[in-house]
Amino acid sequence: MRPLKIAAIVRKEGMLEFRRKNAFYGILLFCLVLVFLNYKAFNVLRGLEWDVMLWMTVLFCGINAIAKSFIQDGAESRLYYYTLFDPKEVVIGKLIYNFIFLSGLFILVYWGFRFFFDAGIRRDGLFFAGAGLGLLGLSIIFTFIAAVSGRAEGNQGVMMSVMSLPLTLPVLLLLIKITAVAMALITDTSVDGDVWMLLGIDLLLAGLLLLLFDFLWKD
Amino acid sequence: MLLSWWKILGILILLYVVIGGLSVPLNPGITDLNPGQLYAGQQKEVTITAYNTHFKTAQPTRIWLKSAEGKFLEAQNVQILTENKLTCHWDIAKNMEGQQYTVIGYNNIDGSFLVPDGIVILKNDSAEEANTAEAQFTDVNTADFVKPSGLRFPYRSILNETIRNTFFHVALWMAMFVLYLLGLYHAIQYLRTGKNEHDWWSVAYNKSGILYGILGLITGSLWARFTWGGWWTNDVKLNMAALSMFLYFGYLLLRNSFNDAEARARISASFSIFAFVALIPLVFIIPRLTDSLHPGNGGNPALGGEDLDHTLRLFFYPSILALILLGCWMAQLKFRMQKLAIKAGIYT
Repeated sequence: MRPLKIAAIVRKEGMLEFRRKNAFYGILLFCLVLVFLNYKAFNVLRGLEWDVMLWMTVLFCGINAIAKSFIQDGAESRLYYYTLFDPKEVVIGKLIYNFIFLSGLFILVYWGFRFFFDAGIRRDGLFFAGAGLGLLGLSIIFTFIAAVSGRAEGNQGVMMSVMSLPLTLPVLLLLIKITAVAMALITDTSVDGDVWMLLGIDLLLAGLLLLLFDFLWKD
Repeated sequence: MLLSWWKILGILILLYVVIGGLSVPLNPGITDLNPGQLYAGQQKEVTITAYNTHFKTAQPTRIWLKSAEGKFLEAQNVQILTENKLTCHWDIAKNMEGQQYTVIGYNNIDGSFLVPDGIVILKNDSAEEANTAEAQFTDVNTADFVKPSGLRFPYRSILNETIRNTFFHVALWMAMFVLYLLGLYHAIQYLRTGKNEHDWWSVAYNKSGILYGILGLITGSLWARFTWGGWWTNDVKLNMAALSMFLYFGYLLLRNSFNDAEARARISASFSIFAFVALIPLVFIIPRLTDSLHPGNGGNPALGGEDLDHTLRLFFYPSILALILLGCWMAQLKFRMQKLAIKAGIYT
């Protein structure tokens, strides 16, 4: 595993995004429309509902954003990468890129939710630490399932959703709980334990991703 | 014949479980006490409705209130109305106020039956009715009670006759879990060795596991309807079950979206391992977040405590074994079909 190669993959993903501005702006627009729909559907959104809707919006934006990360690679380009990179470098590069991209979307959605509604976050540190770990977990799951569904024939978008959404539940539950504690909606003295557990899940998922990606990649 | 002994064993055990599990009678029990609250210093008639009892045929039934210290207060003037219904009187003294009493009944046919903490004695504010005599508590040697002959399942309030569902619902989940583990084992073996047989075994075990999952959901939903009052409750185990069903259906969907057999095997094996391991944390997370109505969670007694007494075990454990054997049989049939289909060139 060579860090320079990983950086090259991250750069390549960024370049592709930059060159296909249409897809990029499409995702941004999708996020904004979702935020606006939330605003018009609820008008007033606060407390736990604010928290849950925020994560639901991020979840659906994330699925759409990351689904394309392997679908856009054809069989030829896969073969080409295979001659240049170790599969682990490819997946780590894609994961880093997806994590950055998902975090960007989260910030966008978050500001949208702050713009339209009152949030009332009491412990910023806890909120963003939980959010960061949760986004990492979500990006790992989405990256793996994107790699799986990228190989499937037929409707890859639907495959991506039905396989990844049930898997996000552990991360999502902890994420909602940690952020709800940060918003003082629930009091829980053992919230540190939840943060550690989320970190543990991230590590477990990352290990699985690295272990199993080889099998998804080679032909 | 010699090779298929375990299939015959599976069928025989399942027959034993179905016939025995449905025909063994339930112990007698008390379904209703009216009123369930009495006032201190009062004499009051209480109507007791019981289940599976023989009040008319048996020798006179005796009824007691049992205190927390193990002392007994016998009811006066027990009147038998029907086989399952009687009325009786208690003299409630002043000093019994604020306590809960277990109601115990006994006759020579049904043996003893009881409701823990069935009657609550409340404070009586009206002075006229007050009866200040001390209650005549006595010792009763429950060891002298005749035990009814034959095998009987325990009576549990709320559960009643549905306690028999333990042999089917709970056993189905356990067998399903074993089949999924076998499927997981073959998925790992496939990735290690690349032998097609492992892929065929893996999908065969997973498919019979999915069948058990569906049956488990149906039996569980029926059970919930008649005990907890709804077809679906917001219960941890139900939601775990739903989630695993979604994932295994997703697995089947994924398998169907490949034309290349090798890619299908490799990618669906990777997905099933990822999905299985990714859900393991839920087992640890969810108990931190919510309670469960199921035994063993949220203060409910665990399976294996008094809920699973030895008469239930006689059918419960064999049932799990029988369902695992039958599941393996179904998986074997699936596996052979796949093998023959490939031999005949029906699909790749």
